[in-house]
Amino acid sequence: MITARAAIAAFVLLLGPLAIHAKQGRATVVYDDVATEVAAGDAAQLWISTADLTRATRFELKPQGVCRDQLCFPVPKARASEFVRKDSGTTFFNLLAFAQLVNQPVAHDEALATWYFGLRSDQREGFSSLQAPDFTLPDMAGKLHSLSNFRGKKVLLVTWASW
Amino acid sequence: MPGWQAIYRQLRDKNFEVISVAQDTNGVKDAGPWITAASPTYTALIDEKHLVSKLYNMVNVPTGVWINEEGKIVRPNEVAFVDDRFKTFTGLDSEPYLTALKDWVEKGGKSVYAMSEEKLRERLNVNDPNFVLAAAQFGLGEYLYKDGHLAEAIPHFREAQRLNPKSWNYKRQAYALSDAKRDYGTTFADEVQKAGGNKVYYQAPDLPTVDKKP
Repeated sequence: MITARAAIAAFVLLLGPLAIHAKQGRATVVYDDVATEVAAGDAAQLWISTADLTRATRFELKPQGVCRDQLCFPVPKARASEFVRKDSGTTFFNLLAFAQLVNQPVAHDEALATWYFGLRSDQREGFSSLQAPDFTLPDMAGKLHSLSNFRGKKVLLVTWASW
Repeated sequence: MPGWQAIYRQLRDKNFEVISVAQDTNGVKDAGPWITAASPTYTALIDEKHLVSKLYNMVNVPTGVWINEEGKIVRPNEVAFVDDRFKTFTGLDSEPYLTALKDWVEKGGKSVYAMSEEKLRERLNVNDPNFVLAAAQFGLGEYLYKDGHLAEAIPHFREAQRLNPKSWNYKRQAYALSDAKRDYGTTFADEVQKAGGNKVYYQAPDLPTVDKKP
């Protein structure tokens, strides 16, 4: 396995710029708008190691489900094989099956082997309580501000653009 | 931006804040000069990923949302002009919106311009799965563009525009990142005409009419 990967790396190095699109066995996962390179055997699927899962999404595979901080999504027992499989000592997780489970939109660019994961359903349910969805964004100087910091004030939130 | 500064100056002593959010893929590079020129004292933020539009299902700029002291929405997405600089294009007079805003800042939940919960729920309930997919396609387009792959980004911007044809943001931001005529076979002006002209492009805020007492 290691030898094969080294061989691929050497091949890519040798070809240089010609090989931009030939990301054999690699994929870019953009999750929460952060891009991470992961190893993916089959380019059309996204079975990634649990180590890559945590690196790319901060989610961890635990006995109770797929978890991050307080958030936990149980894996349906009867369909466990769609999500998790073991291969020579490594546990692999299907990130696309997970996206479907949590009702998360996915956009894919085949040529650049890039997968973009949108907002999960738990990130989109803000309106039932009429609560204004919170966000944290920088000002021009890079200082971060959250909407929730303005609790206790009336706020006019207004978008604009230079274009 | 000078308009928001003016309204902020008038109302800031009434426990009121303006948060402006620039929906600009190129961030400070594109939005910065405007902010520097206006030097606002309210909170002016930069939103490269169009996160606020995504979270609030906004489809155009300027879009305003009123949020009360408890962090609840009082009026959802609507055209939010607070001065008449673009009036020749929009045909919209900013006066009714400003009057409404001042009334709400003054009276809070008792203002006639604070929307009922029922109406709010009706307005906020945008559950089109295509819009969620559109946001993901737009996000992928933005990522590829920023990674130096404009040509590869274009089909994803196009897909976002197809999945959420209501979004002017998806069109205008994408057009601004390349040659619209070459890459999308159209221009902003053409699209506005196709949609039915300026009045359709900016629909006046749906404000209740209030009898002006003599």
